[in-house]
Amino acid sequence: MTARSAGSGEVEDLLRELAPQVLAALVRRYGQFHLCEDASQEALLAAALQWPAEGIPGHPRGWLITVASRRLTDQVRSEQSRRTREEQVAEATPPSELLAPPADTEPAGRDDSLALLFGCCHRDLSSPSQIALTLRAVGGLSTAQIAAAFGVPEATMAQRISRAKQAISGSGFDFSLPSGAERTERLRAVLHVLYLIFNEGYTASEGDTLTVPALSQEAIRLTRWLRRLLPDDGEVAGLLALMLLTDARRPARTRPDGSLVPLAEQDRRLWDQEMIAEGTALISATLPRGEVGPYQLQAAIAAVHDEAKTMADTDWPQILGLYDLLELAAPNPFTSLNRAVAVAMVRGPRAGLEIIAELEADKRMARHHRLLAARAHLHELAGDTAVASADYLAAARRATSLPERRYLALQASRLASVRSR
Amino acid sequence: MIRAMKYLLLIYGNQEKWASIPADEWPEVIARQDAFNRKHRATGELIGAYGLADEVQARLVRRENGQPAVTDGPYLETKEYIASFYLLDVESEERAHQIAADMPFADVDPVEVWPVLHEAKPDL
Repeated sequence: MTARSAGSGEVEDLLRELAPQVLAALVRRYGQFHLCEDASQEALLAAALQWPAEGIPGHPRGWLITVASRRLTDQVRSEQSRRTREEQVAEATPPSELLAPPADTEPAGRDDSLALLFGCCHRDLSSPSQIALTLRAVGGLSTAQIAAAFGVPEATMAQRISRAKQAISGSGFDFSLPSGAERTERLRAVLHVLYLIFNEGYTASEGDTLTVPALSQEAIRLTRWLRRLLPDDGEVAGLLALMLLTDARRPARTRPDGSLVPLAEQDRRLWDQEMIAEGTALISATLPRGEVGPYQLQAAIAAVHDEAKTMADTDWPQILGLYDLLELAAPNPFTSLNRAVAVAMVRGPRAGLEIIAELEADKRMARHHRLLAARAHLHELAGDTAVASADYLAAARRATSLPERRYLALQASRLASVRSR
Repeated sequence: MIRAMKYLLLIYGNQEKWASIPADEWPEVIARQDAFNRKHRATGELIGAYGLADEVQARLVRRENGQPAVTDGPYLETKEYIASFYLLDVESEERAHQIAADMPFADVDPVEVWPVLHEAKPDL
């Protein structure tokens, strides 16, 4: 039970790991998801301040649950003095249990942690709310950190989290795990939220890394955690592999001035070979097990890109085959667009342009900057620089990402100057 | 494809237009606007709502010899100018449009909805 000294990095990693276990234990005991979540956050904060100086206690999880339970008791008491009607927790709990802090007796329930994650990704919540709640309740990030990561004021994020917590704790938190088709559906929502967190982190501007957490790293950490809970799920493994294989390219994706480097021009020596090796091994072990889903297929596509020494070495027929499967598994106009590019690389730009022309039947798609950018690229490959330049410019006008808009506008002017020469 | 996106909503007007609202209707007009702000702040979607002062209080500023040089203006060509602006952070463009349509006077005057550029660095 003796405390041992630890660095603040080690403490933070441990706290983030314990966050969902502590919250699940509290909600199990007291119900009242939103009160428990506040108390759990306060306990994490207290530990973050104390442990680096005083050492990690012998039973860190028990310490956190005890402190959080006390905070909860205090909170309930102050609520009671303010509004005597609010006695929900006290009524639901024998007073002795509220006053005597619980010992670290219950083992951290794997299912409880999973139920917590399912709850945070509840279908009644909008995706920004699902993301914010997952990062706070399961990821153990503070509201200020989440607000900074999304570039919104802390008050706005606090409202979003508070509203989300109330929405899922309204009828009492449900710890029963769904089964069958319902479970597949709920797990898909969870994976989508993790994927969105990864993409936010993957794409968001690099802020002050001390205050703005790297969301791509957080998404990878949470997906690793989920994989430990569900080691046999192919799509969980597929999503983790996809994240590793995509994040591996991050060092090569931007120049020091922040401008974007497309895949074809990236310095592949900058790719993180360790992540590529891990992601490739993971997806290679997962695919043969059957039940191939969209994340596994996207990971496989990323793996084929990552193993090519140069753009010219890319195994495009294999990528096209994987896109064929992906289009069947999860039909989506953006998948079709990516497939059109793969078709162009295998059968020539005209064949790719024909597929894009079909996608233009959807009005929203026809005006989307991604379609315009892909069309521009294929027109350029076909040697039609005038049309390509016009398409790049149209794409730039429709892009809402500033770095992407700059990149597209640059392509337009590059091709325009080629023509005028 | 879903990521929280910021949108700017703009409402235009001028003194003439506001003067046409009878005095006894003002409390209700203000209450409706306050209710709109409260409702969308509570969901964590409305980041800020700001009204602008009258155009006579607006100034043009340039830098001359490193100092601010302030002149009257702008002298607007248009009859209406920006009266208020709202910053949203929402799930989708559809959601931004819904909130814009919920603006108290959206049945009478259109609300301008502008996507705000972000710093996302997509994989190209």
